[in-house]
Amino acid sequence: MSKIVIIEDDAQSARLAARVLKKAGHEVILAEDGEIGLRVVFEHKPDLVLIDLGLPDIDGQTVIGLIRENDDAKHSLIVAFTAYPEDTAAEMAKAYGCDGVITKPIDTHKFADQVAGFFRRD
Amino acid sequence: MTNPFFIAASADKYSIARLADIYNESRVDYIVPMPMNTKRLHDYVAQYDVDLSASVVAVNQDQQVAGIGMLGVRGTRAWITRLGVIPTRRGRGVGQFIMDSLLTNAVSRGCQSVLLEVIEGNEPAYGLFSKLSFETTRRLLVIRRAPNPLPAETLRVEPLNIDQITLFLSRRPPVASWLNETPSILAGGSTVEGLCVSLDSGEMGWIVYRSTPFQLSHFILGSVTDDLSDECARALLRVVHTRHPRRDTKVENLPADSPLWAAYQALGYGIEFTRIEMIKPL
Repeated sequence: MSKIVIIEDDAQSARLAARVLKKAGHEVILAEDGEIGLRVVFEHKPDLVLIDLGLPDIDGQTVIGLIRENDDAKHSLIVAFTAYPEDTAAEMAKAYGCDGVITKPIDTHKFADQVAGFFRRD
Repeated sequence: MTNPFFIAASADKYSIARLADIYNESRVDYIVPMPMNTKRLHDYVAQYDVDLSASVVAVNQDQQVAGIGMLGVRGTRAWITRLGVIPTRRGRGVGQFIMDSLLTNAVSRGCQSVLLEVIEGNEPAYGLFSKLSFETTRRLLVIRRAPNPLPAETLRVEPLNIDQITLFLSRRPPVASWLNETPSILAGGSTVEGLCVSLDSGEMGWIVYRSTPFQLSHFILGSVTDDLSDECARALLRVVHTRHPRRDTKVENLPADSPLWAAYQALGYGIEFTRIEMIKPL
């Protein structure tokens, strides 16, 4: 079982992702904006962070940069979880040191495998 | 502005928190996600001279909110921003209703022109604005640079005080986008910083930007001595990123044909998305 933090302001999208990941056996913690997300990530040092790039308080990219600068949290896998156009999302994710991208809306049949794939790669 | 289905409520009748909720709801499926919380919208309204009494919330016959549009006003110029229609209430002309309401409000405030920006690829919005006689003026890039420390360099660098910053900004030709006009920059208050760099060639350049704990933004570059060279532009950007090595950077509305784009690219910037700026004389 892995510890996963989902930083996502869209409650419906966050709940759906959390439900799928919990069913797959992961521990999931939700954070509704960037500031809360940073606090949760620094406190829980998760195995993986799923982060929306469009957050209401701090841009997702900025949050990713701050996680990567934190000695305790920087080794977490970070996956951009976004509705951005796929090309843009992939470029942003690479530039900001993400381990990958999952585009929204999620496919509930594939989502848990997509996330598991990042652990296998690691 | 006649539409039997909607009324235009003045946005100043709503709290900022409620306006943020309406805006977020209207943009939930937007081409580029850009939600705002209460603080972010509050700052946005203040920094970009958004006139909430001229901004509107569209309400349908069942008293349900259908959409929102905001109007910035500076002298005789207006700027339409934060326009959105709630997805489940689209398709009854609410977008055009909001636009018509904002244009009427701009005219009543003595404005002679209205600017707006639309994200490239948002064809329904671009089509609506074209139908309302807005004309494209230019493409604007929104660019970003991830935190990435640079090796230190020896350059002669002087910080600028607020009077110098104001002077340099005022000397620019009037071509900045609304977000980068001098009032927008100076509204950043204590987050506004400025530096002057001297090159061995004798060229002197300046850069003004906003520096918050999380992000650098609002970069404006210029030359003290002549046209700004690519070498000087790169030096200015290097100096800022050397001083703030761990900071994420977002620069909005750089004209796509700007000669500065090459310098930004050399420093590791990439395009996040592109906007189309449009104008309509009133």
